[in-house]
Amino acid sequence: MTDLSAASPALPRPESAKRRSPLYLAWRRFAANRAALGAGIVLVIIILLAIFAPLISRTGPNEQAFLTKSLAFPSSEHWFGIDDLGRDFFTRIIYGARVSLGIGLSAAVFSLVLGLPLGALAGYLGGRFDWAIMRVIELFSVVPPLLAALLLATLTRGGVWAIVLIAGLFGWVNVCLLVRAQVKSFREKEFIMAAQALGASPWHIVWRHLIPNSVSPVIVGFVLAIPLAMMLEASLSFLGIGVQPPTPSWGQMINVGMNFMYFYWHMAVFPVLALAVTILAASLLGDGLRDALDPTLKGR
Amino acid sequence: MLQFIIRRTLSMLATFFVVSVIIFLMMHAIPGGPFDGYEMPLPDNIKAKLMAQLGLDKPLWEQYLRYMWGVFHLDFGVPYQSPGETVMGLIAHAWVPSLVLGGLGVLIGAPIGILLGMAAALNRNSWIDYLASGIATLGLTIPVFVISTLLILVFAVWLHWTPASGWGEPRRWILPIMAYAAVPLATYARYARSAMLDTLNKPFVTVLRAKGLSERRIIFQHVLRNSAIPMITIFLPMFVGIATGSIFVEAIFRVPGLGAYFVSSIQKRDYPLEMALMLMISALFCISYLISDILYALLNPRIRLGGKAR
Repeated sequence: MTDLSAASPALPRPESAKRRSPLYLAWRRFAANRAALGAGIVLVIIILLAIFAPLISRTGPNEQAFLTKSLAFPSSEHWFGIDDLGRDFFTRIIYGARVSLGIGLSAAVFSLVLGLPLGALAGYLGGRFDWAIMRVIELFSVVPPLLAALLLATLTRGGVWAIVLIAGLFGWVNVCLLVRAQVKSFREKEFIMAAQALGASPWHIVWRHLIPNSVSPVIVGFVLAIPLAMMLEASLSFLGIGVQPPTPSWGQMINVGMNFMYFYWHMAVFPVLALAVTILAASLLGDGLRDALDPTLKGR
Repeated sequence: MLQFIIRRTLSMLATFFVVSVIIFLMMHAIPGGPFDGYEMPLPDNIKAKLMAQLGLDKPLWEQYLRYMWGVFHLDFGVPYQSPGETVMGLIAHAWVPSLVLGGLGVLIGAPIGILLGMAAALNRNSWIDYLASGIATLGLTIPVFVISTLLILVFAVWLHWTPASGWGEPRRWILPIMAYAAVPLATYARYARSAMLDTLNKPFVTVLRAKGLSERRIIFQHVLRNSAIPMITIFLPMFVGIATGSIFVEAIFRVPGLGAYFVSSIQKRDYPLEMALMLMISALFCISYLISDILYALLNPRIRLGGKAR
């Protein structure tokens, strides 16, 4: 990306050099990464299952429609069996995907809303503002997010939106650092100096020039924030201070499943696999996007 | 160098001060006090007397100063849930299982991870490279409680090889140690691989090869020593990070360690114990980062002699 934007588009290009858009090149790099491509496909399937959950399942997630068959093992009729309260477990799992993915996405949006402007301003202004932001980030690095999230969750008594807020509060740091690094490296470029010489205000430069040039770290930060938030939600729900029942959450189901697992394995296996596969797919997708969009960020 | 150490120490102290104030304020913002339980409601005058006895009626800043004064004398107060002992005493016997299991987990996981990462770097794009990357991604993305649950399911429920949980005979330690080892193993597999690759691509390695040194000597004498620095500096913070993992591992495997007390302290609104644990863990993080920074500077001659850090 960097080398392409450095070449001025105003110069006429020789006919022989066929121009490829950066997006196309990024797609080529992404498609060559089989793990990321596979993860993307898996994630799309999970998202489709979550969106069309009411069409796929005949019962609602909290309907105790099969009380007489409570704790039944998986069968052709109930793919993942029945849970202890007589609910179809497959239905619970796909509705759990809605909660998990919904929280992951909302928290990532929230991280972006906080991290993007702060990171861009810190990178562009430098000096005291940058110093203050970096000190705040240092505070976040000293307190383990999960422990602080535990405290905050007891403070707010859990609930979906509290978890989104908490996950965003710890997710913005990564976005902020990625954007700050990108903006910092662009600050000294000629086109920024030209804009400054023309009298553009700092806000205009950041908004019109620096942020559009930070699109790839922003996308990467956004996608990588999703699995982190999902993990946080699952961990808090597992400890019973996250999403409250009866809202289906995988972390919570694992907690319940733990008590049954010695005799009814399906109660633990399916939520564990659902959570592991989704988080794994989301992180592999994020890693793949990072490598594809900005090869210079690789390994960071 | 001395100036660098002093500056780092001061900035860490400042960070710790802010963190301690934030933790203190957060703890007091938690709705509901220790005497608001539903089972045995107390009359208001007795509640007020108890609050006064524990100093909970004073203004916040005074409570903070009194508290921190005690902390510097290793006096964290009395846990509400078991008034017969001190927080310090409770921590003193609770840290043993956490340290034994967590320590063994790190000591087993880290070397395996380093070997795996090295093997991956030396055989790029081979099956072992993919294996190492796969294990690293799995260990770093999948939450500890998912790994723990799977371990119990496979080894205790299906195979009946080990007991599922508990503390006591070493046979019960196997599964929790495996759960603890996952994160260090994955972290080191990833770090060792990228550190080795970084060093292998440096010009000095090309020079050594041109000089005709055997590949074995290049790797063991030069590459390994040069890529050891980042691996050493992440060790301490990772070790402290075990504290976070212990919450889940100990809850799942029913180990009476610090993590288990942390969970019960949150559920029982036990301010003194909760604060003590949070403060100790953040202090440990501060200290481990400080030591890592100093170690990094000491081990890296460019920083040691150049006088400028980072």
